[in-house]
Amino acid sequence: MNTNLKISNVTKIYPGCVANDNVSLEFNSGKIYALLGENGAGKSTLVKILSGVIIPDEGKIYLNENNLKLNSPLDAKKNDIGMVFQHFNLFETLSVFENLIIDSGEQKEGLREKIDSIMRKYNFSIDLDIPVLNLSAGQKQKVEIIRCLIRSPKVLIMDEPTSVLTEQETSELFLSLKKFSEEGILIIYITHKLKEVMELCDEVAVMRRGKLVSVSEIKNENIESLANKMVGQNLKTIKKKKEKNSSDKLINITNLNFISEDPFETNLSDINFSVNRGECLGIAGISGNGQSELFQVLSGEIISDKNSIEFDKNYIGDLNPQERREYLMAFSPEDRLEQAAIPQMAIFENVALNNYKSSNFFNNGLINENKIKEHSKKIISDFNVNTDNIELKSQFLSGGNLQKLIIGRELITSPDLLICFNPTWGLDVGAINYIHETLIKINEQNKSIILISTDTDELLKLSDKISVIHKGKLSKIMDADEVTSEKLGILMGGGN
Amino acid sequence: MIKIVKRDEPSRAIFFLTPVLAIFLTLVAGGLIFYILGFKPFEALKFFFIVPIADKYGFSELLLKATPLCLIAIGLSFCFKSNNWNIGAEGQLTFGAIVSGGVALLFYEQEGFYILPIVILAGAIGGMLYASIPAILKTYFNTNEILVSLMLVYVSKLILDYLVVGPWSNPEGFNFPETRQFSDSARLPLLFEGLRIHGGIFLALAAVVMSWFIFYKTYLGFQMKVSGFSLKTAKYAGYKGKKMIILVFLISGACAGLAGVGEITGPIGQLHREVSPDYGFTAIIVAFLGRLHPVGIIFASLVVAITYLGAETAQIFMQIPKYTGQVFQGMILFFLLASDYLLFFKFKFIGSKNDY
Repeated sequence: MNTNLKISNVTKIYPGCVANDNVSLEFNSGKIYALLGENGAGKSTLVKILSGVIIPDEGKIYLNENNLKLNSPLDAKKNDIGMVFQHFNLFETLSVFENLIIDSGEQKEGLREKIDSIMRKYNFSIDLDIPVLNLSAGQKQKVEIIRCLIRSPKVLIMDEPTSVLTEQETSELFLSLKKFSEEGILIIYITHKLKEVMELCDEVAVMRRGKLVSVSEIKNENIESLANKMVGQNLKTIKKKKEKNSSDKLINITNLNFISEDPFETNLSDINFSVNRGECLGIAGISGNGQSELFQVLSGEIISDKNSIEFDKNYIGDLNPQERREYLMAFSPEDRLEQAAIPQMAIFENVALNNYKSSNFFNNGLINENKIKEHSKKIISDFNVNTDNIELKSQFLSGGNLQKLIIGRELITSPDLLICFNPTWGLDVGAINYIHETLIKINEQNKSIILISTDTDELLKLSDKISVIHKGKLSKIMDADEVTSEKLGILMGGGN
Repeated sequence: MIKIVKRDEPSRAIFFLTPVLAIFLTLVAGGLIFYILGFKPFEALKFFFIVPIADKYGFSELLLKATPLCLIAIGLSFCFKSNNWNIGAEGQLTFGAIVSGGVALLFYEQEGFYILPIVILAGAIGGMLYASIPAILKTYFNTNEILVSLMLVYVSKLILDYLVVGPWSNPEGFNFPETRQFSDSARLPLLFEGLRIHGGIFLALAAVVMSWFIFYKTYLGFQMKVSGFSLKTAKYAGYKGKKMIILVFLISGACAGLAGVGEITGPIGQLHREVSPDYGFTAIIVAFLGRLHPVGIIFASLVVAITYLGAETAQIFMQIPKYTGQVFQGMILFFLLASDYLLFFKFKFIGSKNDY
């Protein structure tokens, strides 16, 4: 039987960000569909809407012409939509079988036979009676897939399924997915990996900044064309004036390594680069390839070997962020609400987070509130933060105003180097332009920037040199004039 | 139909109202329990909450019990505000009592104005030493401070047990598990003739003032606030996390140790087996009921102290076990946690026309 899934005019708006902007798509069984896009493109929001985790502001979902009301994940399951999330939802200490009973909606008796027959059919071999914690990532994923198959779904959605798999496990997964598709299950495959799309899928829908950019057949596409669609054409409207760069080295990173104890973090290996005064180095990459770790190593949240970072002729690898600030470095982290600022605190309290020595915010261990407030007022007016109440809790600032406050807080010390990570993520166009202009101004004052960003347009617009980070390794550093978004897209996907 | 909606921001009014609501709900539930047990609810609650503090003596007893609770809770609020979960104040109290008791015994039958300050200081240092164990293990070996501080409670109680039964027991004490009486110079003075309320209350009030100053006026207080909201931000701002963890544990331990000093050098005047009726644990409830705010903690310690007294009155007049007091303490915490839900969510009444 043919399955037809239709998404009609779906819109989902978060404060300060349109996650899905009037998206309409149609899928038919017998094919494997790819949903392709960079991080923040809106593909996760879209599949969460399909699986009932998020309720859209507008728009409808039809399965075989029936309008579905998906108010909870259970609604999606009941309507034969199965979903395998990127991170597994399994109880580690329970056995595989116990995990499968939990939301199967079936009686224990018949279930074991049913699971056995599913496993025989698709050549899975998993011991049902061992605890889940003893399984490999690939096996855990199979358990999640079996959990969906028990309900005989019409639609199976896979969210970035290969991010935790080995090559071998990936090809096994692809074989299974092709088999499911032949049996009439509609497969929607979410990814940002271009090679996988080419290898596995029949049709591809590309999303960018919440909008559906294109729908096409794989046979009409190649890696370059998809990369181009994914990262967007390079518009270069406020391209900065290129001046002859100085050759005065400001920061020099040599043989920097970071090995994490956390399996969800990325290790950094053998990072080497340098930035001259007045220069902006852009670091491109798909989110999760080590950007966050690189930022933390540069800011001093993660301390490394003393000699691995040389800044203005001082070795500072073992200093913490506050100590690095004294050498005139400044940092603007990616996460505005959980790291760069504390939403529950007033604006002036957030300003005091950048406690550089000459600020006199704290004298002899006491808070100098007048000094902090005076300073906050200056930041607000110099950086166009749209409020005049510095006692306002910063959660009431829009994303753009909060980011202006953070950038202002960091720049008011006239640092020699600003390191920023996705500074315009989720902002509206006006705020983006303001931040971009500010960053260009910094360079014009012969100050330097390291810009880690997942937004390729932004990088091409602002950088003098660009490198790409992939799996914790930096590509060679390229002159921004010689780089195209196509080339970046390929490097970001792990190509050459 | 009623719908539960998330608040845009936690309500400040509700923040201070929920403790009151929790106490009210505790009274209702307590009355219900008394009713089920076959007592008249209002009469029983009167025995529990009003009779014990109706006279001068009762009021003095209330302050006597509230003093250690307040002191410990103030110390704990340093830890809790900065995301450190010190559950072992009871152990720090006990160890503080041991050290100060040991010092007091050194001055057996000696007089001198300098003795009491030394004894008090010894208690604070004892509490700090004991609190430093979970703090150091947490900062340098990544252990969980909840487990370590909790387990150390039982260690300290066994040490105390050993000392009062063994080496420190009173030679003329007919083998009772207690030490000799401290000399008068080693004891906190009683404030009024015939009442047990003693000078420890000034230690508690001093701690309240000091904590208010540190929380709201110092860089340390600011760093604690930031760490309490987000450890990630604290790290990004470059605060020395390890130093702060150790510092808040030391402050907390010192306060618990001082509470221990008050227990043994006040009306009792000797070390014995049961230094504290679980003040160290109950103070956790006090700290949260007082919203980790110095003034809030004063009120909370008074409320919770009543449950101790009420339990004793109820045992005498109604023949119900004094452990009822713990039932009430448990209920207060339970209802407080439950009503905290209102901080983040509100009820919305909607017409039936809406879909959901």
